[in-house]
Amino acid sequence: MSVTVRLATPLRAAAQGSASLSFEATDLGSLAREITARYPELAARVLRDGEFGRFVNVFIDGEDARFLDDGDLRGKRTVEILPAMSGG
Amino acid sequence: MAITLERITPLRGLRCRACQVLQPADTRYICAECYGPVEPEYDLAASDANALREKIARGPHSLWRYADLLPVAEPASHFPVGWTPLVRAPRLGAAIGIANLFIKDDSRNPSLSFKDRPVAVALARALELGLDTIACASTGNLAGAVAAAAARNGLRAFVFVPATTDEGKIAGAAAYGATVVRVLGTYDQVNRLCARLADEEGWGFVNFTLRPYYAEGSKTILFECAEQLDWRLPDHVVVPVGSGALLTRTATAAAQLRQTGLVDDTPFRIHAAQPAGCAPVSDAVLDGYREVRPVRDPNTVARSLAIGAPADGDGSVGIIRASGGSAASVSDAEVQGACALLASTEGVLAEPAGGVVVAAAKALATRDVFDDNGSVVLYITGNGYKGTLDAGLLKPPIAADADEFRAAYAEVLG
Ligand SMILES: Cc1ncc(COP(=O)(O)O)c(C=O)c1O
Ligand SMILES: [Zn+2]
Repeated sequence: MSVTVRLATPLRAAAQGSASLSFEATDLGSLAREITARYPELAARVLRDGEFGRFVNVFIDGEDARFLDDGDLRGKRTVEILPAMSGG
Repeated sequence: MAITLERITPLRGLRCRACQVLQPADTRYICAECYGPVEPEYDLAASDANALREKIARGPHSLWRYADLLPVAEPASHFPVGWTPLVRAPRLGAAIGIANLFIKDDSRNPSLSFKDRPVAVALARALELGLDTIACASTGNLAGAVAAAAARNGLRAFVFVPATTDEGKIAGAAAYGATVVRVLGTYDQVNRLCARLADEEGWGFVNFTLRPYYAEGSKTILFECAEQLDWRLPDHVVVPVGSGALLTRTATAAAQLRQTGLVDDTPFRIHAAQPAGCAPVSDAVLDGYREVRPVRDPNTVARSLAIGAPADGDGSVGIIRASGGSAASVSDAEVQGACALLASTEGVLAEPAGGVVVAAAKALATRDVFDDNGSVVLYITGNGYKGTLDAGLLKPPIAADADEFRAAYAEVLG
């Protein structure tokens, strides 16, 4: 199951400058493991205890992953990783 | 095109709130090491408190009187923002059970909300960088502030709001000449769109690419309160929370006031006010200062505070806890009642966010949070004339007839 991970500009330096990456993953957990294996620098910044979070928000086909309790990626195409920012 | 400003502030760089690494104040807007939030850091130790107080007293009647504690210099072109009244509120205090109550009336700003403060600082940075367009994702008030600032400075503006935003606020932003983009969905969905656009367009997105500067503007409301209290921190402040930028920077401001010796190190407790229909921060505080759980579908009359996934949410919870503060969440009915009470007891007409603060203060007073009899400052951050009023509570119109008037209003006349 292949998903495209889109990275916001400030995150790209930790992934050799790539704007999007392709992974084989069936859920967010396996995606996190893949990122850890292939892009340890990126993993160190976007993961905490093996889970996405810390200072980024993850969107699966446009939906905030925190509202999708299982993090299922089967049949999904795009995972977007954006810095957590907002304000009024 | 680029306007070069002489940097007069002793800015050291941007420091990450999370990993503490100090970085250059270039165009970065998040920490390069951990993607955490970065904040300007100043050389403050060298300043002499008395000299600084005098310098501030001689400064302009705007937030730029605190230029030494801001990351950019005042742009020559902008209108005055800030230096709003801090007034005693005895009648409101009696009504909600707080003896020593003050209102910081920040509804009196050029575009009628406190958002003119963060925008003033973000705008100065945008001019410094030579940008010709500023933009934002907004729950309504920020849109007006960005649009007004752009108009004042001859810049282009794009503002993105949820389609459900108060109509008067949208119309106001459009009247200032901004391109107003209404987006179907919640603020958080608007935010996601804008995070992407901020990345791809070269605009000064005040709450993304200019965020470290934007957030600094929110410190100035507490700077003013302290100066207006003759250089003392209030004992308590009740802060409306959307993204949490205002609350977290209120703590930053207190730290800088203490560090410079402008105020003594007296106890200063920060309390959060949120509407029950979108209270991720207040709920986390009241649930034992746990992690913030985002709210998917905010539903409240206080639409300006309807941010379900606040970026500075966990930061706010940590600050409230460390300050010894608490929080309250209040119903729509309480919010509307509190707006009416504030207007009729003190002559200050606030938008629903102000009602949230007043109702939250009342709830906190009921829980004896202010039992130290200390001073309590309520941040009233938005004006009631911004298109959030509802005349539905009024009686039907009458004929121009004295008897009809006396009959219809018998209970008021008594
Ligand atoms: C009137 C008003 N008060 C308070 C806030 C909260 O500010 P912040 O997003 O910095 O928490 C906002 C905007 O979000 C607002 O429009
Ligand atoms: Zn960091």
